[in-house]
Amino acid sequence: MIEILEKIEGEAEVEYSFVSGEIKDVVVRFPHYRGIEEILQGRAALDALVIAPRVCGICGHAHLQAAAMALERAFGCKISKKAKIIREITRFAEIIQNHIKWFYLVIFAQLHIPYDFRKVHQAIVLANRLIALFAGQSPHSSYAIAGGVTCDITHVELLQAKAIVQEIEEILFDLLGEFDEKQLSKDLAKLFEALKSKNLLQIGKSLDRFITLSEDSVVKNVKILHGKRRKTSLRFVQERAFEGSYAKGVLYRGKFYETGPLARMMQMDLPFIKRLHRRYKDSITTRIFARIYEAKLLLQIIAEHLDQIDLNEPSYIPCKVVDGMGYVSIEAARGSLIHKVAIKNSKIANYSIITPTQWNLSNGTKENPSLLQKAIIGLRDREKANLVFRSFDICSVCTTH
Amino acid sequence: MDRVFWLQGITCNGNSHSFVNLSTLPALLKNIEFIYHPLLESLSFSKALEQNFDILIVEGGIKRDWQRGGVEFEKLFLELASKAKRIIAVGSCAVYGGIFKEYDKEICGVLFAKEEKSHYFEKFKDKTINIPGCPAHPEWIAYALIYQKPHLDDYFRPKELFAYTVHAGCTRNEYFEWKVDAKSFGLKEGCLFYEQGCQAPYTHGSCNKILWNEVASKTRVGTPCFGCTEPDFIQRDLFQTKTFMSIPAKMPLGVPKRAYLTLTGVAKSFRIERLSKRLIDD
Repeated sequence: MIEILEKIEGEAEVEYSFVSGEIKDVVVRFPHYRGIEEILQGRAALDALVIAPRVCGICGHAHLQAAAMALERAFGCKISKKAKIIREITRFAEIIQNHIKWFYLVIFAQLHIPYDFRKVHQAIVLANRLIALFAGQSPHSSYAIAGGVTCDITHVELLQAKAIVQEIEEILFDLLGEFDEKQLSKDLAKLFEALKSKNLLQIGKSLDRFITLSEDSVVKNVKILHGKRRKTSLRFVQERAFEGSYAKGVLYRGKFYETGPLARMMQMDLPFIKRLHRRYKDSITTRIFARIYEAKLLLQIIAEHLDQIDLNEPSYIPCKVVDGMGYVSIEAARGSLIHKVAIKNSKIANYSIITPTQWNLSNGTKENPSLLQKAIIGLRDREKANLVFRSFDICSVCTTH
Repeated sequence: MDRVFWLQGITCNGNSHSFVNLSTLPALLKNIEFIYHPLLESLSFSKALEQNFDILIVEGGIKRDWQRGGVEFEKLFLELASKAKRIIAVGSCAVYGGIFKEYDKEICGVLFAKEEKSHYFEKFKDKTINIPGCPAHPEWIAYALIYQKPHLDDYFRPKELFAYTVHAGCTRNEYFEWKVDAKSFGLKEGCLFYEQGCQAPYTHGSCNKILWNEVASKTRVGTPCFGCTEPDFIQRDLFQTKTFMSIPAKMPLGVPKRAYLTLTGVAKSFRIERLSKRLIDD
């Protein structure tokens, strides 16, 4: 039976095949293609900085930065340490607002757990304001350009940013309490109890393989397979087309991997995440807690970054448009995002994007099931299956760019 | 209490997210009720379709063979739009067709397809307000939800929001007055109209009056305005000013070329020392 899942940044058609009450297969289709890559073709190289963010209303900032990086790679341009730090601050702020929205507006809503909307909303507003202090607006800024950032901030913005970070930290602490799995309190406890009482703690286990393709000040480009870590390279990323869906599947050396907050948190040796994973493996429990944990962690990193900015460094280093190729990955809210650009005669000859949702929601085969298929096959209840689906934090609009 | 249905066509969801940034949203939600919104607590799409409502918000472009919730989108739009007492087209896709029209010419907005009238124009012109922008500013959306009969311009945009240009309130105005261009990106100093492609002087919008996220705007962080509230968004060569005989090809809104040239000649014949230096000397 085909179900249309909405409120996942667009919608997807999910087809469950039941055999004697058990889900035997699941196929996902994203019907809404918008042609971003075609729109980019033939345009001036820098136009990508305005068009790429329009892939997505919730993680457009990651798309902007991926585009800027891809162009810098193609042009052979460098950016200052200051620009690098500022870009991370705004990108992490986007991830934080995404996770808060998803945690409450999707997961809490699905599980019918009441929450303090006013506080949650305030945290969302503030995280977006933090982006705007540097980027001018959120969503859809174009402040990251090949060569750095357009903003030339002063201590005034830095002070405002610090105050905002502190305010979000306080709200999140008020809402979530401490991340201590022995003594969960507040909303974390409510979530755990809801999962426990509905018998959902162990559902959604998948391939237990994780991949991160990007490197920044928080994560490394590593994959984790059978507990072993190996460096990853974009060379081994393969795209595969599937019938009836505009979303191509993505594999790494023939294997599906989970990308996203859980993959990132798994490579960081965090006691809270490790203990959850030992007990619940890569179930929805670990996946959900890893995501909201990341929000808290990135907030601390933003606070540190704000102290490291040297205002005397240039915001922008002149960067000439020349022909070349750029193939880059950057961490977006949902995982490793890939942009690939070819510049010819100063125009975009080719542009291609692989989004994190494509990694997690590929349609595999019986022998080689995708993350989503492995996580859902065997369940007997559609509601549970839908929750597992949402635990991957699907972005339909990204996937159908 | 007005009941609102938020319908999404061909969109990136940017307006839904922009709207959630409205800092006074909890207060607004005491005056209106969303029976459907893609993010906020509301009914499921199919249940919402059975309800009565007052205001239809359209986000995203419209096209015939496009599906929403398994139903043909145009049919859905026509049905809901006919039922609504008022329609608010939110974001440049719903207003003019928007950026995805560059890929598919058939995409149009509620009343317009770029500068042309859409085939729904006659049907819905008496009850539609347009709030363009990519995305639309949350406070503009809230304004349209509350004020039922604002004065509208030729593109059905409320004048109280769109009679201004984005240039009004720009912190770089002194540089514009004296025709001092920005020497590069990443600087506080200089106007972005001469080299960097800024469209603020001829773009309708109050981005520098009602600030984004209450703190900033594109031009305030050194990014040129890309004219996203206008029917010709999205243009080409966005980070470069189109010039004709080395003067900007497009004039500030309502300014005759002769007036502009006269003023430029005078301004440029003086060198204002303060504006030619960095603001903060280290």
